[in-house]
Amino acid sequence: MINLMAKRKTFFLVSIVLIAIGIGAIFVNGIVLDIQFQGGTQITIQMNDSNYELHEASAIAQEISGKVVTAKKLQTHISDGADWINLLMLQVGTKESLDNATIMEIINTIRSEFEVDSSNTYESQSIDPLIGAELLRNGIIAALIASILIVLYVWVRFSVMNGLSAAAFALIALIHDTLIIFSVYTVFKIPLNESFIAALLTILGYSLNDTIIVYDRIRENARLYKRTDVEELVNRSVVQTLSRSINTSVTTVIAIACVYVLAVINGIDSLKFFAFPLIIGMISGTYSSIFIASPLWMMYKKATRRKVRA
Amino acid sequence: MKRKGWTRFAAVIAVIILLVVVAMFGAEFIGLKRISEARFGIDISGGVYATLYPDVEPGREVRAEELEAAKLIIGQRLDARGIFDRTLYVEGDRGRLVLEVPYGSKVAQGSENQEISDQELIDAIGQTSLLTFQEVDENMTMLREEADGTIRQVYLPTGKIIIDGSNVSESRTTTYEGQLAVSLELDSDGAQKFAEATRRLIDKPIAIFLDDFMYSAPVVTDAITSGQAIISGRFTAMEAKELADTIKFGSLPFKLIPKMINSISPTLGEGALNVAITAGIIAFIIIAFFMVIRYRIPGVIAIIALIGLISSTLVFLSSIRASITLPGIAGIILSVGMGVDANIIIFERIKEELLTGKSFRAAIDAGFKRAFSAILDANITTMIVAVVLYMLGSGPIKGFGITLGLGVALSFLTALTASRIMLTAISNITSLQKLSYYGLKEAAIND
Repeated sequence: MINLMAKRKTFFLVSIVLIAIGIGAIFVNGIVLDIQFQGGTQITIQMNDSNYELHEASAIAQEISGKVVTAKKLQTHISDGADWINLLMLQVGTKESLDNATIMEIINTIRSEFEVDSSNTYESQSIDPLIGAELLRNGIIAALIASILIVLYVWVRFSVMNGLSAAAFALIALIHDTLIIFSVYTVFKIPLNESFIAALLTILGYSLNDTIIVYDRIRENARLYKRTDVEELVNRSVVQTLSRSINTSVTTVIAIACVYVLAVINGIDSLKFFAFPLIIGMISGTYSSIFIASPLWMMYKKATRRKVRA
Repeated sequence: MKRKGWTRFAAVIAVIILLVVVAMFGAEFIGLKRISEARFGIDISGGVYATLYPDVEPGREVRAEELEAAKLIIGQRLDARGIFDRTLYVEGDRGRLVLEVPYGSKVAQGSENQEISDQELIDAIGQTSLLTFQEVDENMTMLREEADGTIRQVYLPTGKIIIDGSNVSESRTTTYEGQLAVSLELDSDGAQKFAEATRRLIDKPIAIFLDDFMYSAPVVTDAITSGQAIISGRFTAMEAKELADTIKFGSLPFKLIPKMINSISPTLGEGALNVAITAGIIAFIIIAFFMVIRYRIPGVIAIIALIGLISSTLVFLSSIRASITLPGIAGIILSVGMGVDANIIIFERIKEELLTGKSFRAAIDAGFKRAFSAILDANITTMIVAVVLYMLGSGPIKGFGITLGLGVALSFLTALTASRIMLTAISNITSLQKLSYYGLKEAAIND
């Protein structure tokens, strides 16, 4: 049987390096909040083609709103075989939202200035900064409450493993995954929005599943082999559940990767920015269960046992 | 015993086929729509999503019944505009109204041009006015151009409010001395204030304002002490109804201001839906190959069980008339992942049991039994996440919570019933009792 536990320091190091990169990225890239959390207005207008000047578009919006405007060209695809749709995206103001009349004025002026076909579509999103902050706070509260409940559940269900310590290390694995996902967002400059909260909670759920599968085996093996050394017990349980963990990760990552690839091909940003962190998070979740939570629990067990003897 | 196993096997297959048929073609006689006609969320179908907040002085508490009243009034206003297909609900502790109107229903009201109807709708939401009856100063007037181009002299608001919309209990069109008129019923507090004012203001106008917009300025002819008033004038039927509705539906306890408005294009939403569906199908095919190659016979059974899981999720969503949103689809995909996981846990366990030399039947029983606690714990924790998201999340996050929770519950059931019944029946076929059919090498048993 492979001794995975012996290599634990390497595994810890890998995680520490990745998280350090993520934290470093905060200083380099900053934390980018989507208008959903920061407040602001975003207008997307379907243009006839991509032959227009961005600075002209942003100048129009700037003049009407009296605020700083950033403009971007985007392309998207509705269905296979259909033509690409050219979009102009305007982000108006930071931490400030515009009223309806101003939004409509910007849309109408740009449509008439650039002679946009009347059948072309547009959309707008506008959110008050205070509400954005509330959504962010609610998202964080939801994540915290879910984590606390889960930890309580593990504590009760895994009393054989000395419940509280098992729950504590499961929690450390969850914090690890949160930091990894956060790193993905900061390194790749993906704006944090509600899908970040959804992605985060999904990954925490999955990661916890993986941890529970390993714990479940430890619980079972602890009853079967009462006199085994802790290191061997944990290693045996991890190795026995390894093929399940890998197969599940592979199937889940395949599913999300399909979404990601198609979203990239068709230029659907919302799905792309949801799927990518999920893929990384799924891998991180499996990794943290096997290489973080389990060895940490083992080290804790060894340490406390030694104390009892001394 | 064996016969019983096959009856169950046939029953499981029949149920799954039935679910697939209902999901694909609907069952009109029990009101279930086919999945392609399901109700889609604003993010897919396009439309407007807005949250409206009560605009009250700091420190004033907004009561739950006030919000419910506001919801009713906004609903009536939307009805009056012919916007029937909509979702309107109160959300959050601090209280807000959430309004979703799908793209199609705005077209249905007769304005083909999205530009006008979007603006109209946002106005209907945003300009939720406070109705007041005010004393006026006859020297404070202005000229205003009306919608039909005529010029009208109107009074300016003085802030001397006699009563406001909350004092009006009923207002409808009626006839008075053979002419159309608008009747007004006030609550006791309103009647008292109105009596005092009308006694003082005989032969003077009282103006009805929606915010700062003067709507009408009837002249007081008698002191009105009963709390029942009649506004007469040369009304057309339309004008009378409009005035009555304005007085009645204008009576909001506070202004509601939109703090979040998302106006989503149906074209762009459709693109995201197509990608999500195509991705789901491709992912399913790849996973099916993976499962069959890795687990052979159990793999095939897992695929059948997954088809049951997906179609039952869709039928269930259709039966509760939930809107399908993009985060909702993400929730379905993830719960299918949970379903795959449950099957993988069981099959890996069965493999292990087979390696200890157990018979097929015994290995399958032991595999399900031993895998149970792991699957239960894994599903309960995911369920906890889903419930928290449903309870604390707003809008899209709630939708994600619903489908994830539903999917997890159904995946737990299908893995432990459908997969088990089918696998148990198959394990009785002697010619299929080969380790290689369960994804193991024949030689493995000697290790």
